[in-house]
Amino acid sequence: MKRMKEYTPYHSPNDPCPPIGKKYYSTPPQLYIPFQPANLPQYSPKEALAKGTLWPAFYDYYDNPYRQRGN
Amino acid sequence: MPTSMPDDYYRLLHDLQAVDFVLVELTLYLDTHPTDEEAVKQFNHYSSERKKLKKQIERSYGPLQQYGNSYSATDKWNWSDGPWPWQV
Repeated sequence: MKRMKEYTPYHSPNDPCPPIGKKYYSTPPQLYIPFQPANLPQYSPKEALAKGTLWPAFYDYYDNPYRQRGN
Repeated sequence: MPTSMPDDYYRLLHDLQAVDFVLVELTLYLDTHPTDEEAVKQFNHYSSERKKLKKQIERSYGPLQQYGNSYSATDKWNWSDGPWPWQV
């Protein structure tokens, strides 16, 4: 299960709908690497094709945070 | 039109796809890192690798591309022999 950041939106007493609860957002690695350094370790071609990136440093797969946590 | 292709056909196309992906990634990387000799060396290596792979595929399964990007068979205009891309 992918660790994702979360926040809880304010739920007003006047809000007729049930509270949303936790909302999740992803912060992929490219946010933290301003300029890609040279000679980063690489995947093999087949693995890079499957994972969608040549460099493990930028690997960022999608994991539905709402499914496991049930809310 | 053949009803089925040998496993080798799919294996070679998978290899070609993997090499193509590496070339795309390296192209994008080199656009912003033009002086990274290591990456340029790797790019040229995979580029020649792709040429060999393409020749190998086309020798047994016909042309991959059109308009002169691939040779045609000499005895017959055979670009429509193999399965179409969406049929692969």
